Amino acid sequence: MGNTITDQQITKGLTVFDNIDGKLLTALNSCVHCGLCATSCPVFLATKDEKLTPAHKVDLVASIYKKYCTFSGKLFPGLVSAKAIDDELVEEMVDQLFGACTMCGRCNIHCSIGVDIEYLVRTGRTMLANMDKVPSTLQSTVDSALNTGNNMAIPTEEFVDTLEWLEEDLQDDLEDETAKIPLNEIEKKYLYTLNPREPKFFPLSISAMAKVFHVAKESWTLSTKMYDVTNYAYFSGNPEHAKIIAKRLDDEMEELKAEECVLAECGHGSRSFRWEAPNYLDKKLDYNVLTSVELLAEYLRDGRIKTDPNLIEEVVTLHDPCNLVRGGGVIDEQRYILSKTVKNFVEMTPHGTESFCCGGGGGHLAMSEYNERRMKMGELKAEQIRKTGATIVATPCHNCVDQLIQINHAFKLNVQIKTLAEIVADSIVINSEDKNRIQD
Amino acid sequence: MATIEIDGRTFDMDGDGFLINPREWDEEVARLIAKYDGIEEMNKKHWAIVNVIRKNWEEKDMAPMVRVICKETGVKLREIYQLFPLGPARGACRVAGLPKPDGCV
Repeated sequence: MGNTITDQQITKGLTVFDNIDGKLLTALNSCVHCGLCATSCPVFLATKDEKLTPAHKVDLVASIYKKYCTFSGKLFPGLVSAKAIDDELVEEMVDQLFGACTMCGRCNIHCSIGVDIEYLVRTGRTMLANMDKVPSTLQSTVDSALNTGNNMAIPTEEFVDTLEWLEEDLQDDLEDETAKIPLNEIEKKYLYTLNPREPKFFPLSISAMAKVFHVAKESWTLSTKMYDVTNYAYFSGNPEHAKIIAKRLDDEMEELKAEECVLAECGHGSRSFRWEAPNYLDKKLDYNVLTSVELLAEYLRDGRIKTDPNLIEEVVTLHDPCNLVRGGGVIDEQRYILSKTVKNFVEMTPHGTESFCCGGGGGHLAMSEYNERRMKMGELKAEQIRKTGATIVATPCHNCVDQLIQINHAFKLNVQIKTLAEIVADSIVINSEDKNRIQD
Repeated sequence: MATIEIDGRTFDMDGDGFLINPREWDEEVARLIAKYDGIEEMNKKHWAIVNVIRKNWEEKDMAPMVRVICKETGVKLREIYQLFPLGPARGACRVAGLPKPDGCV
């Protein structure tokens, strides 16, 4: 095989090892090949392909580190499994790190010695991004966000038209003209962000959240400048792109002088802004960032909204988004919400921090070339869902919603997929006393 | 890229079954893709939705907002999800022969 990778690309790729810290060094040097990660990984479980185990991915990234950054690897590469970067290796890395890992982090919690495998995959992706080797299908969504301000290239005017349309519907539904979807209002308690697929194709979750905000008498606003909670550069691995996207939301928080930032139901969006933005932006965010899941739970706990679980009688199960649970620490809130909003809740096995990825994580929905693996992973999830006997699957992540819609169709589950905001909105009870209080 | 054969006709499609070359699209292609998705017969509402999507794409090079689909066809939002169980993007836009939209779809 010929070699088209230039020395310049290799040099750029290797910059991930500049200023290497203890965390990365530990991850690169500690794998003992016990094999526990393999049986925890949904890609391996779905494909039974030994080349697709998490340990194999660790080895790939470590082999490059050894080749270029260690004495023994430079002198005796064969002895320490050190590998030089060439076309073949890059192709394998793209296939493994982008195409066979949803960055779900389930391997991390099963690793016998605590290697942060997911972090190594991200490091490998950054290496590939630096070499300009991000799959074009994934890069396209990043570019869309960079060039237009949101990952679906929705023009602001069309966004505003959609929100006005939703506001009219909300007022009709509630028979209440005071119900609003506020835009660009300053000095509100919360700036709320959306996933662009909501205004573009699936706006019921916007109406649902607006209804909840209205009933809770919340002080909130949307921005017409920044309405994208996602950050696909978290998946592509390019920190410069991630910084540009994160900065927009940070700037808009300042512009609108909002007190706190509420992130819509989006696993990676929550993680990439709440936990990663301070790293991307190299500063501490001087406001609180929370997920809408936590806010919904708070409203219920504080009695700011009232719900009747008897209004949803169907059997409901819950899909835990990886980035919200293992990568976000939001585990009990969604269960608390369901305990207050549905009559028959059944957990999947396993669930919570042990939950299986739906298959759509890590940017996989964008990368159609890996569709077959994605749907094989989806089959694992389909079986989990089927065993619960549920007819509604709730999940606080729009990306998971899309994958679950496909799973539902492909494996004929006959379920409805809903966000938590939709579940809460469907079970809200407004009596005449409440109505007076809200309109006051 | 994959070549998909539906009822004797072959198409180049991406891994998600979106046409590689949207110019290959015609009404028969729409019917074939719909059938592949389990929509045995395209009714008037299916066609109205697909035509609005197609028109928007021809004019603006992008899929329309679901609001525009509702407004121009008169089909209610919730009904769109019933007509195309895979949703406006992976369902309707695919039947309309558009390339796969970016984002979480």
